[in-house]
Amino acid sequence: MPAIVEVRGAVKDYPLGKLKVRALEDVSLSIEKGEFTVIAGPSGSGKTTLLNLIGCVDVPTAGEVIVDGQATSRLSDRQLTKLRLHSIGFIFQSFNLVNVLDVYQNVELPLLLQGKLGAAERHQRVKALIERVGIGEHLHHRPNELSGGQRQRVAIARALVTRPALVLADEPTANLDSVTGASILDLMRELNEAEQTTFLFSTHDHAVMQRARRIVRMLDGKLAES
Amino acid sequence: MQSLRLVLILAVRSLLAHRAKSLIIGSLLFVGTFVVVLGNALLDSIEEVMRTTLTHSLAGDFQLQSKDAEDALALFGGGGLGTSDIGEIPHFEQVEAEIGKIDGVRYLVPMGVTNATVFGRNEIDRVLTELRDALRDGDTERVPRLVARARRIVVDLSKALDTAKAIADEESYRKNAEALTKVGDDAFWTAFEPGGDALSALDFLDSRVAPLASDGDLYYLRVFGTDPERFVEAFPRFEIKEGQMIPPGRPGFLFNHRTYEKLIKNRVARELDALVDEADDGNTIADDPLLQQRVRRLADQYRLVTFQLEPEDATALTSELKGLLGQDGTLEELVQAFLKVDDTNVRERTAWFYEHMGTRIALHVPKVGDSVTLRGFTQSGYLRAVEVPVWGTYDFEGLEDADISGASNLVDLVTFRELYGKMSDSAREELAGIRQEVGVKALSREDAEAALFGGGGDVEVAVADQGALDVDIGAVNVVGPFERTFPAEETRTGLVLDVAIVLEDPDREAALRPELERVADGLGLKVLDWKEASGTLGQMITVLRITLLTAVAIIFLVALIIVNNAMVMATMDRVPEIGTLRAIGTQRTTVLGLFLVETGVLGLVAGGVGGLAAVGVIVWLQSVGIPAPADELVLLFGGPRLFPTIGLNDIVFGLITITTVAVASTLYPATLAARVPPIVAMRGRE
Repeated sequence: MPAIVEVRGAVKDYPLGKLKVRALEDVSLSIEKGEFTVIAGPSGSGKTTLLNLIGCVDVPTAGEVIVDGQATSRLSDRQLTKLRLHSIGFIFQSFNLVNVLDVYQNVELPLLLQGKLGAAERHQRVKALIERVGIGEHLHHRPNELSGGQRQRVAIARALVTRPALVLADEPTANLDSVTGASILDLMRELNEAEQTTFLFSTHDHAVMQRARRIVRMLDGKLAES
Repeated sequence: MQSLRLVLILAVRSLLAHRAKSLIIGSLLFVGTFVVVLGNALLDSIEEVMRTTLTHSLAGDFQLQSKDAEDALALFGGGGLGTSDIGEIPHFEQVEAEIGKIDGVRYLVPMGVTNATVFGRNEIDRVLTELRDALRDGDTERVPRLVARARRIVVDLSKALDTAKAIADEESYRKNAEALTKVGDDAFWTAFEPGGDALSALDFLDSRVAPLASDGDLYYLRVFGTDPERFVEAFPRFEIKEGQMIPPGRPGFLFNHRTYEKLIKNRVARELDALVDEADDGNTIADDPLLQQRVRRLADQYRLVTFQLEPEDATALTSELKGLLGQDGTLEELVQAFLKVDDTNVRERTAWFYEHMGTRIALHVPKVGDSVTLRGFTQSGYLRAVEVPVWGTYDFEGLEDADISGASNLVDLVTFRELYGKMSDSAREELAGIRQEVGVKALSREDAEAALFGGGGDVEVAVADQGALDVDIGAVNVVGPFERTFPAEETRTGLVLDVAIVLEDPDREAALRPELERVADGLGLKVLDWKEASGTLGQMITVLRITLLTAVAIIFLVALIIVNNAMVMATMDRVPEIGTLRAIGTQRTTVLGLFLVETGVLGLVAGGVGGLAAVGVIVWLQSVGIPAPADELVLLFGGPRLFPTIGLNDIVFGLITITTVAVASTLYPATLAARVPPIVAMRGRE
């Protein structure tokens, strides 16, 4: 299996006044297509920092992060944005839907940004995906008219609509009750199995870890167990 | 295309989602556009009205002026009465030949402007002059009547002298009192009876008594010289109000009707007219101390009536006034009492004045049908006087009530040249004829002193280039001013100061200008459009526009700051949303565009509504008209009311301006938004 993500000796320092705080120390990790991997660890262990580097919203201070074959530290902001748009889907802890757009428009958004598909094909894909995540009857509702679980389903649809090589989910169940969280995880697992979509989570939720095929544990900015 | 659609959807949705913010910014943009569109439409309307008024009344579409002129042409005055050097165009016929050939030029009107003074003689001078004429002509019927008038004036002067005692110095008071005592005696007036020494008595009156009367009015007039025939054809707003147009080939003067009514007219009549106007405007004498003061002053002007009356008219008027007022007294007392008008009788008294007094006195001095002596300084500094008949009065339609139009009185071009200091060929011939007849020899200025004092033979008068027409030469059979003629072509050739160009189609103004300039340049002339040629008046519209633009600039500056602040705050609120958009793959430029489009759309919508509101107001004003609040504005409004119009260009201009301002004020917040890093979408989640 080819590696979708290749992290080699990644280091990340954050400035804190005159000091530097090392959030990530010499992390190396490889994630292959079709994985359903959890990065676990306590708060401050560096899991979100690692996820940020892999998600191309940040670049390493040293070392290399290669996503979909591209070394992120050598890319411009524009290229990183493009890489995120075409190769990565994001699922956030607080869902981060665009409140002024309805369900359909939120899911359609990345496709519009890509500008690759024609209207008919786009409509078909968006509609099918919304049905697939089980919120077909809420097509034209705004995010604030939906429950937390429904919102996260919209977020999943939005993350998947471009058929990305990698879906990153940052604490996707943290703002959901356990029943809803479980159903969301089941959905992602289903999608992973059916579409071979690669999922990478950061979480300290055991329910998530239980469903993971691989768990990467972090502690104090280092990989503890992979 | 798809991302543009996305940006539009996002922008509109954001606007709707943040209603309060959109409403505040929108209201601001609404007001801005409303003011810009309305202001511009009004100014454009004023400019268009002014253009029609001015191009149809005096300016023409263009004016030609010598390139050597030191001062710019100011047809409606540049303020002040100082003579300005607007240059000379020596050969109008050349201009007519060259410029007249250009396709699209309809009329070329030769013109010139100068300042002149006209005397309205005082009554005693008038009476004494008439008396002298009557004595010379041996008019035994007229002499006693004029003597009676003179005596009435003298009696009144004695009273005035008593009043002036307090302020006069003793010596002059004594001498004046002596003179008045002498003429107050019946014995003095026996001199005018057959066999008496009338001329000595007249001299005494002339030299000792007449100076005690207040001076006659001296009027400063701005005088335009032109070809009357051509002028009437070229300027459709021109209309004769009284009398007739100056006939072709005749010298003549036309008073501007407003000047005639507001300046030349008998002050009593003028004041009564003004009081009636005030009453029409709803101002009452009882409530207005200024009007009360005017009424008191009016009563003091009774001499302007009584001095002019013939003896039998004086008697008749006295009894009529007694009947009207139900009181007894001298004519002077009765007229004074009559002129003490109040709110209840001002209209009746004014009507009565015109019926009973206006018919017995000259309401205008000088009046239509008189000949006036225009005095002015020539370019070389000579005092020049030209006697010219007053054929009538005129005004420009729509400008009847505009003071500034009163600044132009009309004279034929030949007379103008004499006044200006250039003699026409026919006048030169006439002068030569007169010189020959009376044996006067022309001397140059340099030789005059030698001729007068240094011996030599030629001790005649050094008339030099004097206008000759006002020289009182009894021996010569001088033709009366109304009978004088000159060859009509003199108004089509020779010296003019400026030339008005009237186009076939005024809309081609801009298109024809380069060609006009090219030909004019070859003739040593420059081309001015009507606005440039109109002096301060033409610049008024520019001043108004600058005022509007300043006001608009202030509104926009405030809008800019408020929109900027509001958008910065909105950006702060929306950082997570922007972070999400950036994380899922939205480029910085798209975020920037999103914010700009957002205010752009708001600008277009609010601006569109503002523009429509302005259209609504203009349409309403079109039906009711805006009344000119002051006489000065009549000219700007082209009449007593302005009926404004609005063009698509006004709306488009307003919309583009406001949208540009809105977008510009969003540049900074939009840049801030574009700098939001995608990582904020992930922040604070652990």
